Amino acid sequence: MRTIYLVLLAGLAVGIQPATAKGKQVRYVGLHPVPKADGGGICYIEGPHVHIFAANKLEYRDHGNQHYFVGDPVAYGYDGPRHAYKGHHPIHVHAVVGDDQEDVEFCYLDGPHFHSFTPPPAIKAEFVVADDAYFYVAEPPPVYVEARPAMIKVNAVYTPMVYTRPVIEVEPPSGWIGVRFSAPAVVVVEDRPPPPVVVVAPRVRAGVEVHVPVPTLRVDIGIGGGFGVGGGGGGHKHKKWKHR
Amino acid sequence: MRLAALALVVGAFACGKGDGAAAGGNPRDAVVAAWKKGGLTPSPLTASTVTVGKDCESGTVGAIDVLLCVYPTAADAKAAEEAGLAWVADTTGAARVSGTVLIAVADRRKSDPSGRTINQLLKLAPN
Repeated sequence: MRTIYLVLLAGLAVGIQPATAKGKQVRYVGLHPVPKADGGGICYIEGPHVHIFAANKLEYRDHGNQHYFVGDPVAYGYDGPRHAYKGHHPIHVHAVVGDDQEDVEFCYLDGPHFHSFTPPPAIKAEFVVADDAYFYVAEPPPVYVEARPAMIKVNAVYTPMVYTRPVIEVEPPSGWIGVRFSAPAVVVVEDRPPPPVVVVAPRVRAGVEVHVPVPTLRVDIGIGGGFGVGGGGGGHKHKKWKHR
Repeated sequence: MRLAALALVVGAFACGKGDGAAAGGNPRDAVVAAWKKGGLTPSPLTASTVTVGKDCESGTVGAIDVLLCVYPTAADAKAAEEAGLAWVADTTGAARVSGTVLIAVADRRKSDPSGRTINQLLKLAPN
């Protein structure tokens, strides 16, 4: 009888394990990076497709039930046509992937970066092209402002990445979102030095357990003077550092 | 003589199945022809008994597994996309409709890490 209970308990334990992406289809649309653990590089499938690896929250947006990559593909080795942007801007996902499911998402990458697409003709007026780069100069919707504190953390992912970014030396045009909504400075601070490796001597079970705690990273985002809404050059007041 | 003629007709029908649009009629042939025109080399397709549909044939393009199922209507084909993804199972792949044909592709041998071949398979197929 005890054996039966043990078998039942073991079965339940297996059943309640958290689901991982391994072995489970995850839906994507458009090109996107492939995690290093799954080979790295870029997946160039433009239409809807599936993989068995997961997408992260900062570089992907939900487009219907699919994940759409809003980051800079060049950072991951993309070798196709590319277009330079500076600062935050909207992405008309439906126009890029070519479906009729209207979906406007925002890219929160600060500074010069690439995408594989240009803004669609319908919103070209919202951009100014200078030095072969797109600058978003229109009024962003409230949803951009609301999501901004969380989404600008994507810059902590890209800042340390070494790759050839677009060189944009021209002064940003007036009305550029990076001036009106001042660009945050992203500082990556290590909470504490990496803890030592702790080796625990075995007690009951055979073998040795090696615990290597992962050092935590804290991302500090300093917003220079808050949002400088209105006025051509606002937003660059005193730097305040908000520690979270 | 009559027997020889019959054998010729049967042979021609068998070769024509899944071998280009020139054979005419079967919408699956148009997909295969588009792939060939785009420079891909699909293997001969063979009848496949799968849960995705009743009229399915499978083969390979390079090392990518392909499944082409024909349905009475485009809506039926569209409705079978989920079943196509189920056929893909736990690997990289896709399922899309081309008229009344459901195209499912699966990279079970991990031969296409960049997805470029799969992208071609999906884009070359007629809409």
